[in-house]
Amino acid sequence: MSKPAGAASPRAANVEVRGLVRRFGSITAVDGVDLDVAEGEVFGFLGPNGAGKSTMVRMLVTLLRPSAGAARVAGYDVVKEAAKVRRVIGVALQDAALDPLMTGRELLRLQATLHGIPRGHVEARGGELLERVGLTAAADRRVGTYSGGMRRRLDLAMALIHEPAVLFLDEPTTGLDPMSRISLWEEVRRLNIDHGTTVFLTTQYLEEADELAQRVAIIDRGRIVREGPPAELKAQVGEPTLQVVVPEGDLERAAEVLRHFGEPAPARPDSLAVHLAGGAAGLAAVVRALDERGVQPVSMELTAPSLDDVFVEATGRRLEGAQADPAVPAP
Amino acid sequence: MSAGGVVSLSRRSISNTLRQPQMWVPSMAFPLIFTALNTGAMGRATRLPGFPAESFLDFAVATAVVQGVLFGATAGGSDMAVDIQDGFFDRLVSSPVSRPTIVLARLAGAAVLGAVQSLVFMAILTAFGAQVRGGAPAVLTIVAVAMLLAMAIGGLSVAIALKTGSSEVVQAAFPVFFISLFTSSAFFPRELMSGWFKTVASVNPLSFMIESVRALIIGGFHVGDAMRALAIVAALAGVSLLLSLRALRSRLAAG
Repeated sequence: MSKPAGAASPRAANVEVRGLVRRFGSITAVDGVDLDVAEGEVFGFLGPNGAGKSTMVRMLVTLLRPSAGAARVAGYDVVKEAAKVRRVIGVALQDAALDPLMTGRELLRLQATLHGIPRGHVEARGGELLERVGLTAAADRRVGTYSGGMRRRLDLAMALIHEPAVLFLDEPTTGLDPMSRISLWEEVRRLNIDHGTTVFLTTQYLEEADELAQRVAIIDRGRIVREGPPAELKAQVGEPTLQVVVPEGDLERAAEVLRHFGEPAPARPDSLAVHLAGGAAGLAAVVRALDERGVQPVSMELTAPSLDDVFVEATGRRLEGAQADPAVPAP
Repeated sequence: MSAGGVVSLSRRSISNTLRQPQMWVPSMAFPLIFTALNTGAMGRATRLPGFPAESFLDFAVATAVVQGVLFGATAGGSDMAVDIQDGFFDRLVSSPVSRPTIVLARLAGAAVLGAVQSLVFMAILTAFGAQVRGGAPAVLTIVAVAMLLAMAIGGLSVAIALKTGSSEVVQAAFPVFFISLFTSSAFFPRELMSGWFKTVASVNPLSFMIESVRALIIGGFHVGDAMRALAIVAALAGVSLLLSLRALRSRLAAG
């Protein structure tokens, strides 16, 4: 999509990456990445520790120069137009860097001034964001006294102060307790729905990518190994598994029916499981067939393959618990 | 460069120093303790032929101011290093504020603290009987010298912070500043020194700056002394500003 370069023309709040490479000495942390994030999309960048996620984000937010390749954020080149990129992005990096000696309100005020928000709007904007992330009561306390979840929420508020077109969140929930994690997810979702903010999110949590991202890219050792909507990626890995619990007397008849719908899968003693050929669409046919044979299932459960299965299929390793392996072993 | 950015970041720099008493209490207390001890121990040195002042306390005012600023202004560098270690520096660098602003605001913050420090020292020592014979023009000159000196020392420590990213290294550099003070005529007049010490003190630019400041206090206001003090310290501040901006550029280019 080509856009006229006129200053007044609204730009697509997208991200375009072509052949991006970043080397640190003999290690190639990001190794020829291509990707596109559409305007208004929540894009999940998923990978184990040390896969190159943070290096990628640092290049996109102009903190790190690429060794090769190019990237544009909201149409601006991250190297040649770095200053313009910085004006349209919101950034919350890993390990929320907040000054423990300042209060939440002071930090927001500082961030607002750095983004050139007119003096008259600074207080109102800060107050509104504090309210939104639930920190109004703690606003005048020093950040050193905040919990991990409060810091992340303040960090998010700071990243949003200038209503950025593209928001970069680098592992926003790493180290958070489940409640804080869920409340941050809700905030990100709300932002995307209410304000149409494009979100580029890195995470090592499958659940997070699954919950939030409309599309994900899986990175491993500096390369993208899979890319697409989570449901599609999972569908590519294989059929969903249908688990059927039936009364004991019906087990045999049910097994006979299910055989027509796919390969049997391991199941608990009181139930049957099958890799449902044709995916979830075949479910209605299974129900009808069971009914015709007079089998009344106690329960039925359809389990899709997880993103972890996608990762295993792509790399031969499990993502959860995968350790920080070097992007490329040094020779 | 935005004025709002400089003001906000300088304000942060100042309030962070003030919120960490360990950063400024020693730089206020030690020079005063030193002055009290030296004045007590060496008060009669004024009777030595060639001693430039009638009262040792008058002689010591310039020392206290310079020492205090020297102590205090390294806080800017340590805070900058902490910002780099914590990642706050990345936050500033990924915001639209111009990058030199980040360094200039630190130095502006150091300069403000230096001005306050010099005024406090002069007020306290005057209360104990010291006399600034050059009057208001001398006081203003001394404040300006203190500000420029704070920028010079602050700039060097910021340069070290940017180069190494380590607050430990910034603090380790502190003795260098201290030795440069001790090998100057800060504590004793050059006229009464001899041998290698006199040679070292005579090439140490701090000597000439302190002597000019001292002349404003014990001899009255002379434009020549004021200009000399300001010129020396402005040159130091200029060099250190260049070094810190260069260190900033190389840190950002490495990124």
